[in-house]
Amino acid sequence: MSPVVGVPPAPTLALPDMDGKIIDLARYRGKLVLVNFWATWCPPCRTEFPSLGRVRKLFKSTEFEVIAVNVGEDMETVFSFAATPAFPVLFDRDALAMARWQIMGLPTTLVVDRQGRLALRAVGGREFDDPVIVAQLRELIRQGRT
Amino acid sequence: MNIRLLAVFALLTGISLPVRAEGDIEWRHRATQGAVTLSANPLGLASRTAFYSARGFAAEAIRPYAQACGFSFGMQNGGTATLSTRLADWRAVGTDGRAVRLRLPAEWDLQWAKAHVPEAARIAFRWAQFQAENVFEAGDWIMGMATLEAPLSGSFRLVARYHDEKGNHEIVLDKLACGHDSSAN
Repeated sequence: MSPVVGVPPAPTLALPDMDGKIIDLARYRGKLVLVNFWATWCPPCRTEFPSLGRVRKLFKSTEFEVIAVNVGEDMETVFSFAATPAFPVLFDRDALAMARWQIMGLPTTLVVDRQGRLALRAVGGREFDDPVIVAQLRELIRQGRT
Repeated sequence: MNIRLLAVFALLTGISLPVRAEGDIEWRHRATQGAVTLSANPLGLASRTAFYSARGFAAEAIRPYAQACGFSFGMQNGGTATLSTRLADWRAVGTDGRAVRLRLPAEWDLQWAKAHVPEAARIAFRWAQFQAENVFEAGDWIMGMATLEAPLSGSFRLVARYHDEKGNHEIVLDKLACGHDSSAN
């Protein structure tokens, strides 16, 4: 993943999850958060989706969280693809969050550091439990402790 | 329903199921220049109609797009420099030298607005396209569909312009042809 120039504050993100409950990114302040924008019809999104669950398991829940933001689809469609994901799946039905986050293509993934800033970005599919990416995440967690 | 949609998208992009990695996508056309790789697959009418109908388009509304000369494109930055590209700077050039630009997603979206296409369908369309402006950091790659403003008969080459820290560059895909359902899908 590539560093985000200037490490700007993350845009706001408050969207319904699969139970209709609003999840606000702000609740995770103090944790490293990987935010993945995706859709079920996007092949690379589907390919990388399982690795989101795998990478989440590599870290303590007190230090790291994954959030998947589905773009433009309904809960039934997403549920049939990912019935019980190990991380929150939020619904950006009108793609307004995508616009706020200046997403230019699917999938796009950003890492929000423990201070709530955009630290890393990846455009296109990745395997998020790849050792290189895991090392990047570990380093951000380590920096956030100091 | 999602498996069916994935199968349709696989037809659109030329990939083999199951999809495991970007390297699994089978591109019919590919060119590499330095660290940049550009790939393309021609798209037919039936597959595009099926895909977008499943996303909420009326068959009549999506017909102009499905009938247009269309491709799925993939572009990858395998180097370390930041790249940028604008679809408006790409040209398809026929054997007679005639150059045709690509129609931008926003131009299609204007048509969808006039046709009162549902918002959810427009969102799916917007993000299934090769975006009008792209920035690629190291390792980034993007795929999406695009259409020519007008058809070209026979084979043609696609000249895709991009920019990096050293200036402007072109990468060329040769021997492209508009897709037909009998052969392309």
